[in-house]
Amino acid sequence: MKSKPRTRERQLKHKHRAGWLYSIPGFIFLILFFWYPLILSFVVAFQHWHPIRPPVYVGLNNFQLVFNHPLTPLVFKNTLIYAGLRIALTFLIPIIVAILIMEMRKSTIRTMMILWFIPTAGVALTILWKYIYNPFYGLLNAIFVGLGFAPQRWLSDKNLTMLCLILPSLIMFAPGLIYIGALQTIPEELYEAAELEGAGFWSKIWHITLPRIRPVIAMLLILAVISAFQEFNLPYIMTKGGPGNATLFAVQYLWRTAFGYMKFGEGTAIAILLFFFLLALTIIQRKFFRENVDE
Amino acid sequence: MPLIARVGRNKLSVKFWLAFITSFLWLGVALHLFPVWWMFTSSIKPVPEVYKFPPTLWPHKPTLVCYKLFFQAIGVSYKGAYSTVLPFPVYVYFKNSLIYTLGAMAIQIPVCALVAYSLSKLHSPRWSRILFLAFITPLLIPAQIYLIPRVLLFKNFPYAFKISSNLPSVNLMNTTWVMILPFCYDAFNVLLFKGFFDTIPESLVNAARLDGASEIGILRRIIIPLSKPIFAVVSWFSFSGLWNRFLWPLTVLTEEKMWPISLRMNLLQTNLESEHLQTGMSELDLIRREIGLGWNLIMAMGIIQSIPIFIVFLICREYLMKGIRLRGFK
Repeated sequence: MKSKPRTRERQLKHKHRAGWLYSIPGFIFLILFFWYPLILSFVVAFQHWHPIRPPVYVGLNNFQLVFNHPLTPLVFKNTLIYAGLRIALTFLIPIIVAILIMEMRKSTIRTMMILWFIPTAGVALTILWKYIYNPFYGLLNAIFVGLGFAPQRWLSDKNLTMLCLILPSLIMFAPGLIYIGALQTIPEELYEAAELEGAGFWSKIWHITLPRIRPVIAMLLILAVISAFQEFNLPYIMTKGGPGNATLFAVQYLWRTAFGYMKFGEGTAIAILLFFFLLALTIIQRKFFRENVDE
Repeated sequence: MPLIARVGRNKLSVKFWLAFITSFLWLGVALHLFPVWWMFTSSIKPVPEVYKFPPTLWPHKPTLVCYKLFFQAIGVSYKGAYSTVLPFPVYVYFKNSLIYTLGAMAIQIPVCALVAYSLSKLHSPRWSRILFLAFITPLLIPAQIYLIPRVLLFKNFPYAFKISSNLPSVNLMNTTWVMILPFCYDAFNVLLFKGFFDTIPESLVNAARLDGASEIGILRRIIIPLSKPIFAVVSWFSFSGLWNRFLWPLTVLTEEKMWPISLRMNLLQTNLESEHLQTGMSELDLIRREIGLGWNLIMAMGIIQSIPIFIVFLICREYLMKGIRLRGFK
């Protein structure tokens, strides 16, 4: 009789020990490549890095240099416009498509999703879009001329280049697997019950579907905002920040400052500014969504 | 499924509504597929057709000349100056990409699975909550902040600073390690894994424990066989994420023999484009076009770059189609 609690205790000990054991490899990588660089960047931001001599502490000098740099306000304005436009234009589409695709027959869902998912490598696709945008022999101008419009200069046109950077993500999205997974967890009885009460198409979406997938939307919105503010590949490959500096975004700006001009301190200062900006945005978003969930 | 009532589906207005939704979705599919098709046809066009305006939908004289460069390096000499188009055959870049991606995956997936499993089933509730926060926060931290300190870290691994000459440190820039080590842990994978492990009933694990199974035995005989779907899903996310890396290799790999395929593609298109925009067409560009290489070469490399992703997608598709259930950050 006495041995039973003792074995249970021993099992619990085994269990916890295994838990720590299994966490160790992840923990080492987490500390070495995530937490350590994070702390390090708060050190580097207050230092002046010289190619040969050891780094020197310079206080807030780097931040001052960044604030006084004529490009900084422009870069943050560009980034804000781009990220805002991209979220506004592209975030909702996968949600709408995921809701609508669930209306189809099972076999249709499968075919559509497989076709939609035919994957292409990111850089290849970006370069393809640059080819499509080419003002002299690109596909888009061919379509435009064919329809009787005047040919455009696309990426080299100051007014169009921002939209040109967003169009690929408008077309090349895949219907969110995560939304579809979330939609499948909604019990069908809920819809049937709503039907008995006379709820129609829109009211079912509004009262059942959306509240049920709200936590997933909240999480993906946070991730989408963080990634939109950090876009690098599209502008770097397609425009290199131009024309002028119309599409110079924060990450390319810090990348150029750090690795183009070898100013690691200033580059890190830009990174930290962006970091705090996004942190504030994330906190606001989480607060906003949590209040909604509790109602 | 549920939005449109099943009973009324024969009514004309409902039928119209359904047809509208269906055509909208097919339009999306078509829009999505067209660029992929465009990449493929451009890759088999001969040079005059790649630069033709208006472009042709299907090449009149399809050619595989660009795909032959998979095994062949190529350069152009012009007026005594030698310009390389492809200093190495495409397979060298392709092989690099594969090594970086598979190497990182081979460590990343087991590491993340173990972390998620221990968070989900092994730690005490209190520790589980604390550790989960520590493990998941990198997801909420903008990745750009790691860029510069990680470069410093790899230049002087593992201290970042020259502390003293007694402490040995290595420069890992331009090695395979620099493309693998920072990607050995990924918070999103932990989130995916944990979301799945949480759905495995605790009682199943406890029953095995009562039968005297060891912790490793439980993991090997019960958890892993059950978790095939989530391993497929994580493999897909992990592969496509790692394969598409661009900013990091651009920053840390300066030697061309270490480059993944994306860096060479980017340089090729930068050269083409800048020459084209400055003078309409430089003489070097003309020569390149004469030997039949232009955008078609880049598009062929794009197709080659897309093939591995496509294969992984085919392998994992059954599991991906079911959708992914994810819990939030809590």
